Amino acid sequence: MSGTLNVLIGLAMGLNLVALGSSRLPALIQAMSLQGVLLGVMPLLLEEEGFNWRVAVVAAATVIGKGIVIPNLLRRATRAANIERESDPFLGFVPSLLLGAGGTIAAVALARALPLLPEHAGTLLVPGAIASILTGFILLIGRVKAISQVCGYLILENGIYLFGLLLIHSTPLLVESGILLDVTVGVFVIGIIVDRIQRAFDSLDTRRLTTLRE
Amino acid sequence: MWLPQLVVRLALWLLLAPLLPGLINRVKAWVAGRRGPPVGQLYYDLAKLWRKEVVWSTLASPAFIVGPAVAWVAVVGAALLLPLGPAGAEWSFRGDVLLLLYLLALARFATAWAALETGSAFEGMGAAREVSYAVLAEAALITAVVSLSLQTSSVSLTTMLAPTAGAGAVLLAAGLFTVLLAENCRVPFDDPNTHLELTMVHEVMILDHSGPPLAVILHGAAVKLLLFSVLLVQAVVPLDQFSRGVAVAVLAGGVLSVTLGVGLVESFLARLAFRRVPLLLTTAFLLCLFALLVAWKGGVQ
Amino acid sequence: MSPGPILLLAAAATLSAIVAGPRSARAWLALMLTGTVAGLAAALVVLGGSVDWEWRSDFALGGEDVHLRLDGVSALFLVLLCVVGGAATVYAQDYWSEKQYPQSAPRGRAWWGGLLLSMTWVLLCANGLHFLIGWELFTVCAFFLIRRDDRRPAVRAASWLYLAASHAGTVFLFAFFNALAVRRGSWDLDAMRDQAELAPLFWLALAGFGIKAGMFPLHFWLPAAHANAPSHVSAILSGVAIKMGIYGLVRFSGLLPVPAAAGWVVIGLGAVSALLGIAFALVQNDYKRLLAYCSVENIGIILIGLGGALLAASQNDAPWGRLALAGAFLHVWNHGVSKALLFLGAGSVLHATGTREMSRLGGLWQRMPWTTGLFAVGAIAVAALPPLNGFISEWLVYLGLFEAASTRTIAAWAAIPAIILLAVSGALALASFTKVIGIIFLGAPRTAAASRAHECGRMMRGPMLVLGGLCAALGLLPLLFWPAIARAVGSWRPGWADAPAPVALGQLSAAQVLLGVAGVAAAAWLWRKARGGSARRGLTWDCGYATLAARMQYTGGSLAGVAAGWFDWALQPELRQRRPRGQFPASAFRRERIPETVLEKILGPVSAAIRQLAAVARRLQHGRLQFYLLYVVIGLAALGLLVWLEGRP
Repeated sequence: MSGTLNVLIGLAMGLNLVALGSSRLPALIQAMSLQGVLLGVMPLLLEEEGFNWRVAVVAAATVIGKGIVIPNLLRRATRAANIERESDPFLGFVPSLLLGAGGTIAAVALARALPLLPEHAGTLLVPGAIASILTGFILLIGRVKAISQVCGYLILENGIYLFGLLLIHSTPLLVESGILLDVTVGVFVIGIIVDRIQRAFDSLDTRRLTTLRE
Repeated sequence: MWLPQLVVRLALWLLLAPLLPGLINRVKAWVAGRRGPPVGQLYYDLAKLWRKEVVWSTLASPAFIVGPAVAWVAVVGAALLLPLGPAGAEWSFRGDVLLLLYLLALARFATAWAALETGSAFEGMGAAREVSYAVLAEAALITAVVSLSLQTSSVSLTTMLAPTAGAGAVLLAAGLFTVLLAENCRVPFDDPNTHLELTMVHEVMILDHSGPPLAVILHGAAVKLLLFSVLLVQAVVPLDQFSRGVAVAVLAGGVLSVTLGVGLVESFLARLAFRRVPLLLTTAFLLCLFALLVAWKGGVQ
Repeated sequence: MSPGPILLLAAAATLSAIVAGPRSARAWLALMLTGTVAGLAAALVVLGGSVDWEWRSDFALGGEDVHLRLDGVSALFLVLLCVVGGAATVYAQDYWSEKQYPQSAPRGRAWWGGLLLSMTWVLLCANGLHFLIGWELFTVCAFFLIRRDDRRPAVRAASWLYLAASHAGTVFLFAFFNALAVRRGSWDLDAMRDQAELAPLFWLALAGFGIKAGMFPLHFWLPAAHANAPSHVSAILSGVAIKMGIYGLVRFSGLLPVPAAAGWVVIGLGAVSALLGIAFALVQNDYKRLLAYCSVENIGIILIGLGGALLAASQNDAPWGRLALAGAFLHVWNHGVSKALLFLGAGSVLHATGTREMSRLGGLWQRMPWTTGLFAVGAIAVAALPPLNGFISEWLVYLGLFEAASTRTIAAWAAIPAIILLAVSGALALASFTKVIGIIFLGAPRTAAASRAHECGRMMRGPMLVLGGLCAALGLLPLLFWPAIARAVGSWRPGWADAPAPVALGQLSAAQVLLGVAGVAAAAWLWRKARGGSARRGLTWDCGYATLAARMQYTGGSLAGVAAGWFDWALQPELRQRRPRGQFPASAFRRERIPETVLEKILGPVSAAIRQLAAVARRLQHGRLQFYLLYVVIGLAALGLLVWLEGRP
């Protein structure tokens, strides 16, 4: 079981790098939604004793939410705002890719040093979580388009979700539903902001927000 | 005993190499629904060029003609270092993989030198791109070598390439395939068929060459492509687990599928904008780096 | 035969060369050659044998007995010194001749003798006090040699910067030797590996010798000094003098215990020097500056090897350390020889054209075929391409690192990044030398100066031929030189003595020879086939454009631009440009300058801040007696407060 799980987490970590390296927004959203689907499947794999319908519902909800609904919203936003790619970001694509890769390696090395429960020590859950959070931060810091930043935020949230999976046996779903709620609120808020920025400035470049500082 | 072996091996490399570009062109023609040139087109081209007269620039020094010869010897020498499945390598010693890498670098130096002889801005442009992209390709390649060497605790090609590349094989294959495309100037790094000099890398370096030196350059490029394909297949497929005959068949099949892959990539992808090239090569480097980490972890447990 | 008398002969010859030098160039040449050949013979006797030469005087010099020792390590460096010194001596005869420089040449000859003698002294000294004196003399001689052409302000500035940096290094060394002498109660330098409390002193030595070696953040003086010195001086500075820093590190990391982190720090500094050194080299337009930065890279490679050896020594004498150290030692020779060759070649270009700017040259091969060929040999050697010597030593370093990686111990975490950075800097070195050769020697001359160039004379060509031959010999027959390297490795760490040559080294050299022969044969064949001599010549095709002009050639800046763009974070290029505007642009320009980042962005602001502080402090000194008396009172009060505070329980 942990073998399949590790492969999935490995793929998710790979998708982090894809997200960091892609300049086209649709590709970025694609990577994020794929990661959401992978994350949604994971609770099913963690369940040892047979089928648990509550977990199944959560998995389905996660796949639908992270994998279909939110990406579709974002795709609509890109179409509405009529932007295709992230042009001249603060942090270039090659440096952010290298940073992300370095962060991933450091996460794997760090997770070995952490005092983890024996059942978590063999999995990539913790490094995957740290790597995703780092990726999210790099995207949030390095990109200028609001939609990229939303994606960064969601990838960051995916990392927190991975941490939440560690607790799935003790506090099932509580953590997760709380997080999902957060995200929904976040997406709505950002969606509204995106819309407002778009109308006010005819652009989604967050750098222009600096004119608001007075 | 070793002399006939050397002759056979050399003949294999030299005679089979021009087949690969022909095969790639066939694949592209097939995908595009054209009839395409015959598989042996490069053989005809080489024979024709070999008989032709040379015209060279008034500015060029003798190195304009010596350069291609040196590059050719370097590439063929590197090819002879590479083991061929069950047949092993012609020379094998500790650290031969480094000689292979640096011979490829020597070939690059000689080609770029010959290109700069003409004083043409186009050829300078090509040389600049060739030596610059090689920096990133070299990083990816040496990382792949380190990962193979970690797995086998060896620095000799025969041992390094024999067993499977382990769990990281997929990563390594993807990384090495990208390096293959970059080092051999194929799409998406360079378009061998383009007619716009501003966007070429390898082709623009040899604009002024003609006759036998051009034939030598084209042949050397074909040998280099074969070399990278053989290297890729052996790095990924555990050839030592098969019997002799099967191993040879697997090697040949692997090289063919790499060729097919190159053809398909060229059919379905467009050439990248030059500023995007470093990103792709960095990706190749990272793929090899993760293969290295997998190799490291695989050995610890 | 004992090296003692030969060394005495060498010293006597060099001393008389210093005395006779200013008067007679011929006598100077003969005496200097006698000196260097004798020094070389003494070093070879020690390297060939198995006994060190040691000598202690009955008299005292500055309160200490003179104690000289010639062991494997110092003999290794002495060989390099004598070979490069001898070659550059002959070269200087024509290059910096009496006719051209009636004022500067005679005194230059005396300083030259002084430089060689003081460096030999440093190599031989086994007494800390005398070592420091020799070190200081060597610095001063080099200073006067750098400013041979002191009418030019750039030269004067470079020499002062060199002197200041060297003295900053000497401060560290002074602290180092003093601390050593205080703790041991003697200035004598003997093996003291068992005194573990001496280990932290290594950091002082690293700083002091690191400045002299020009490792990365401490290299700031090096490019200016090596570029502005006369080329024969640049050759010995880049080929030998920076190796004295390496010698110091090797010597004292061998004699003293080292801290546990030493290997890591040295390997890290080496990797950074290699990568950033060559990145800076790539973008230079002044070819001598480019060569100087390339020296920073090669010092980095040597440090990677030395760091590997230190790491291995700290890990129960892991066997791969020998390979890394042997690689580093061989690289000391290889880089010394090939860089000297390159600087002599650069000197011959400078002599012929009068400019150090690559963008004003081009097409020199037609008028300077010998220089072109020999420069190419040096370039191939220093870019570590087979079949020449640079590749052999890098190969040994690689081999050591690869073995360290496959041990999967903690050392692998240092070795793997070092391998990758070494490969990347190798590829960048190739790009740099493609640029140098392409822009200086190939294509069409870009200016009148370049088209009027002339080949150098026989006295300049001869030494370059010797050095080029050595590059080939070291590359094709490394086994011949292995015993000397192994001897030096044994002197560094007695446990590693008598290492047999790796079997693979023999196989590699056989492969190199075969490849060399095949390359020559193939080239000759293709030349005949193409009827190279009589083939039709035409204009460069250039896609059919018929009025090709020299100014339309690709420039060095563009050639390096692709890769240099990836290093903007370190290079911090300053760009001033006016783009062409409108249908009929009146004027446009683009000027890019690569600053000396460490000097201008770090040291400059820091020293400016110190100057400002000093200016504030100067206000205290205004000449009014009353206030001075007030200072005295304040000082006394402060002292009293201090005493009172100390006295409290």
